[in-house]
Amino acid sequence: MEHLSVVAQGVSMTLLLTLSSLLFGAIGGIPLVLARRSRLALVRFTARALIELLRGIPPLAWLFIIYFGVGTGVIELSSFAAAVIGFGLVSSAYMAEIYRGGLTAIHDGQWEASDALGLSHAATLVTIIGPQVLRVSIPAAATFAIGLLKDSSVASVIGVQDTIYWASHESTVTGDAIVPFLWAAGLYVAMTIPCAWATRLLDAKLRKRVAR
Amino acid sequence: MTFFNDWVDYFPDLLGGLGVSLQLTLVTLLIGLPAGLVLALAAGSKKRVVRVVAIGVIEVGRGTPALVVLQLFYFGLPTAGMTLTSFVAASLALAFTTAAYTSEILRGGLQAVPSGEVEAAHALGMARGDILRFVVIPQGIRIAIPPLMGFAIMVFQATSLAYTIAMPELMSQAYSIGSITFRYLSILTLAGLMYALITIPASSLSNFVEYRLARHR
Amino acid sequence: MHEDTEQDRIAISLESVVKKYGDHTVINDVSLSVREGEVIAIIGPSGAGKSTLLRCINLLEVPDRGRITVEGNHVDAGTQISHKDLVRLRRNVGMVFQSFNLFPHMTVLRNISLPQERVLGRSRQEADARSMKLLERVGLADKAQQYPSRCSGGQQQRIAIARALALDPRVMLFDEPTSALDPEVGLEVLAVMRELAAEGMTMVVVTHEMQFARDVSDRVVVMAEGAILEEGDPADVFTAPAMDRTRKFLRAVLER
Ligand SMILES: Nc1ncnc2c1ncn2[C@@H]1O[C@H](COP(=O)(O)OP(=O)(O)O)[C@@H](O)[C@H]1O
Ligand SMILES: [Mg+2]
Repeated sequence: MEHLSVVAQGVSMTLLLTLSSLLFGAIGGIPLVLARRSRLALVRFTARALIELLRGIPPLAWLFIIYFGVGTGVIELSSFAAAVIGFGLVSSAYMAEIYRGGLTAIHDGQWEASDALGLSHAATLVTIIGPQVLRVSIPAAATFAIGLLKDSSVASVIGVQDTIYWASHESTVTGDAIVPFLWAAGLYVAMTIPCAWATRLLDAKLRKRVAR
Repeated sequence: MTFFNDWVDYFPDLLGGLGVSLQLTLVTLLIGLPAGLVLALAAGSKKRVVRVVAIGVIEVGRGTPALVVLQLFYFGLPTAGMTLTSFVAASLALAFTTAAYTSEILRGGLQAVPSGEVEAAHALGMARGDILRFVVIPQGIRIAIPPLMGFAIMVFQATSLAYTIAMPELMSQAYSIGSITFRYLSILTLAGLMYALITIPASSLSNFVEYRLARHR
Repeated sequence: MHEDTEQDRIAISLESVVKKYGDHTVINDVSLSVREGEVIAIIGPSGAGKSTLLRCINLLEVPDRGRITVEGNHVDAGTQISHKDLVRLRRNVGMVFQSFNLFPHMTVLRNISLPQERVLGRSRQEADARSMKLLERVGLADKAQQYPSRCSGGQQQRIAIARALALDPRVMLFDEPTSALDPEVGLEVLAVMRELAAEGMTMVVVTHEMQFARDVSDRVVVMAEGAILEEGDPADVFTAPAMDRTRKFLRAVLER
């Protein structure tokens, strides 16, 4: 049990990192998906290449590029800042693809109806289409968020003091290389459960609002 | 131009690391996929005990970060009397996670096989094992191929985690060259691009296969 | 389970069979016996339990009560039914489904040969030879190397019949074999079935093809709500049904 209190110190950091990166991605995904659907071929191509690169390079490589590459040569970055930027960028690409799926699910008729009402393209996007896309994206985003929570453990490699960081620390200090890691595993599993539960709740709430 | 010079100078070293990453991916899949199939079949078993154990293993495997499993195998097992080389530890750890995830993909594939065919096979008097072997598994795997290819790409990316147990794969090579030369940005970027050079064409291939299989239904 | 020699003139017998899904009784105390070489047509409204009754005969559904005997091998509901019992009973029974249920990833030839190899232990050569003979018989020898998706519905159903016959069953069950087919295509399938009946195969056919029931069957069984309403000579049942319910059903079918 004394292992648990040490390992559990990292839980708040795991949650903070996950939520910050998710927020970064939820916002960053918007310009990316808009660019991905731009009328200009060059913009479309660039956005697509960016998405592919962000998703095609392992998160650990992104963290290294940002923390050691950019962080030592260009501007000083804390390990937490580097992790949020790295996971945030990768999340932006995944969120853009999730939004894109949501956009395809929205019927073309809604664009036409808005046209008929005389709403501008931008106004339609912000007031009619956007909220619905966010709404239909929630299940996929929730699955992604749970994956992100587990992937965030990679940030410990550049020194972010999250759950697995403290598990490694505890195992080095006490020489027990099993129990602290088992606690870490249990804590990660435990964190994903309320995550799934909360998204289901949020999903139900938003469903009600959109339905009205 | 120094960027480009670094790339030319260190590409051969990184290529060796990439080879190790690919080997690790291959071995992980060779162990993880059959194990995933066994888990998928066990999760659909008629015997309650088998089913519960299989679903438990799957949930733990999917709920635990691969990095945690890796640390547990590499640092934990030796204290329990089993010392593994970093390659073996990494293969087994990633195979465990692979089995848990792919079992869900395969289970979806197996369940997508029309029940009428299974019934017809029963009516013909075929044994349960034969029905799995000749009717359900070949079709289930075929249905599961595109998502399995997608997952294989994730496994390849996840081999970078083996950096943490001092395995000389691509990420470790890049980091160690970086720490000697202090050319972190150029070398780590090259390593990242080398990953992308594999994953991006591979995911196009997986999309293509998915499209082809969907068309030939 | 044991061999019965005295009753060898009876091919199938159902005794007081009951089948429930939860609280819903789908087959309610049905008894029926079928003689060797007899062709039985089962008719009745949808939901009457015709398919369930048929599926009880080869134990695709295990009844809750009663006894099923096929070619002398019997199984009692409520007792432990071993895999061996199942296989022994099913060995004598072929079944053809409404939706064909061919294996789409195997060629037509493989569809017919594989069960022979796995169930009867025939060699590949033996099995293929038998398959080709049956394909010729149903007029589809040229399709042997094709995949089922390249065959029409009527062709697939004839292949499904060949697949069942390849295991040398003594009894054939048909569950609305032409319902998924266009009428003209259905005729190809019915022609094969007529031939089979003429050769003396014992057949139980669930069907909405009244013409077929009248011409080919030796006996018509009318089912409704999980029970046998009446049974008898096709001429009698169709021209002078004993029950009001039968009359109503026949009128509804004929008006379509
Ligand atoms: N697997 C099942 N589970 C629950 N109810 C079933 C199942 N199969 C059939 N039934 C029910 O049993 C009744 C008889 O079905 P069925 O034998 O298919 O009738 P028929 O073939 O005469 O149309 C129907 O009410 C049907 O809903
Ligand atoms: Mg039916």
